[in-house]
Amino acid sequence: MPSIDSICHASRLRNVNAAVKFWFSILTLALCVAGRSVCISLLVLLVNSLLITARSGLAWKRYGKLLAAPLTFLLLATAAIVISISRRPLSAFAIPAGSWYVTAGWDSLAYGGRLMLTALACVSCLYFLSVTTPVTDILGVLESLRCPRLFLELMLLIYRYIFLLLSLASVLTAAQQSRLGNRDFRTSLRSFGALGQALFVQSIVRSRLSWQAMESRCYQGQVNVLHPKQPVKKSQVLLTALFELLLLALVIIRRCQLWILF
Amino acid sequence: MDTILNAENLVYSYEDAPEPSLNGLTLSIPEGSRVALMGENGSGKSTFFLCCNGIFKPQKGRLAFRGVPFSYDRRSLLELRRQVGIVFQNPDVQLFSASVYEDISFGLLNLGLSETEAAERVGRVMEELEITPFRDRPVHALSGGQKKQVSLAGILVMEPALLILDEPFASLDARHKERMKQQIYRLSDSGRTVLTATHDPDFALEWADRVILLKKGRTLAQGEAAAILSSRRLLEEAGLPAPSVLPLFETLKRKGILAEHLPLPRSLAALERCLH
Repeated sequence: MPSIDSICHASRLRNVNAAVKFWFSILTLALCVAGRSVCISLLVLLVNSLLITARSGLAWKRYGKLLAAPLTFLLLATAAIVISISRRPLSAFAIPAGSWYVTAGWDSLAYGGRLMLTALACVSCLYFLSVTTPVTDILGVLESLRCPRLFLELMLLIYRYIFLLLSLASVLTAAQQSRLGNRDFRTSLRSFGALGQALFVQSIVRSRLSWQAMESRCYQGQVNVLHPKQPVKKSQVLLTALFELLLLALVIIRRCQLWILF
Repeated sequence: MDTILNAENLVYSYEDAPEPSLNGLTLSIPEGSRVALMGENGSGKSTFFLCCNGIFKPQKGRLAFRGVPFSYDRRSLLELRRQVGIVFQNPDVQLFSASVYEDISFGLLNLGLSETEAAERVGRVMEELEITPFRDRPVHALSGGQKKQVSLAGILVMEPALLILDEPFASLDARHKERMKQQIYRLSDSGRTVLTATHDPDFALEWADRVILLKKGRTLAQGEAAAILSSRRLLEEAGLPAPSVLPLFETLKRKGILAEHLPLPRSLAALERCLH
């Protein structure tokens, strides 16, 4: 599956101002967590999914695959929280196992469901950001928020070198397999160890050469580059603000209702 | 003609290396000239380049830029690197930013140019090298030839007086190589001095004014391109193949078809013109 990086460069929302996308994503995430309700989570999930597929141009199937990984994790984790082993059977179901029961109550099932939906909605917020905004644009926004430069530069270099190391690893793996490095399990283990060693050494060599190249271009300790201009569209800011206010209202209603119940 | 770069008796050893990489290298580069530096792998070309912009400080010997000896304090080095630009052989070493536009602007912002001025210069260089179509593409999504163009752009944008190209045709296909050749020709248009390390004697004969042959960290010979590249003895000693023109030219002279005193034509096309 092609990387998220290539997806976001092909996105139709790529040239929308990065700060607008960033704040949309973060505020929605925060309100979703604050609300912790099924209907807020469903609304957020729906809006993000529509934005990602219809508006940004990512195919449904691919989006589904992207969601599959966190979904699997969520299912397992929630199951671990919701299902308990006790002597007394609880309300929803109970599977006898010796003198104990593997059981769960309706309330804890509801809690688990709510938790899972909230988490999934939050994941969709982050997916929106990563699928429409290249890492460098995100770093640009963080820079304008006065994030420490060291942190940003590390992120930039790590991002760049992930691809370099991945391509190096794939080339080395292909070379190893061409020489029957995956013949059996023991050989594969040995090849893998050699791959790790080669990558490590190559990284050190490469970092030295990179430093020489950066020094040759008058590197003075800070990575300063030009960022392309992205104009802010008033309509986008307005829509984002309205959506966040709607979410905020829903969160307050939800929380206030809880208070009233008490 | 003034000398832009002067090297005297340079000695440089890498750590743990049995022999020095540069072993008493002496050469001079005239200002505004086109110089081809040739020699086998390991003869010291890349090491010499890194001495030219102060990355390596030679353990012995002297270097001077426009007559002024190199000094290795911070400010002098920055000024030197503004004037002397190296385009590395492997573009992956030089390209590190996410997009093409950003990577080209790296050197400019380091030099303290304003954002508007930098943007204008970057735009201009991209137009010149015809890479504007992929200005927003991430660097790792480019082909090898395109990466070379971008790495050249990143140095050109700093407007160096001495431009050093370390094996510009390495790993390029025929089309990109031809394109790179055209660009290298245009590079010296504005009076810029261009120094190229190359293994291609045909290109050196056609393009260069001067050729410098290196062997084992020393200068074997330096002089006019046609003179150096027509000497079989020098070519053999340096371990270099002869330019394509040479065997045919020698045969034609031996058979009396061409006069003895004719100088070596700089390309097969030029040889053809001689025959008419």
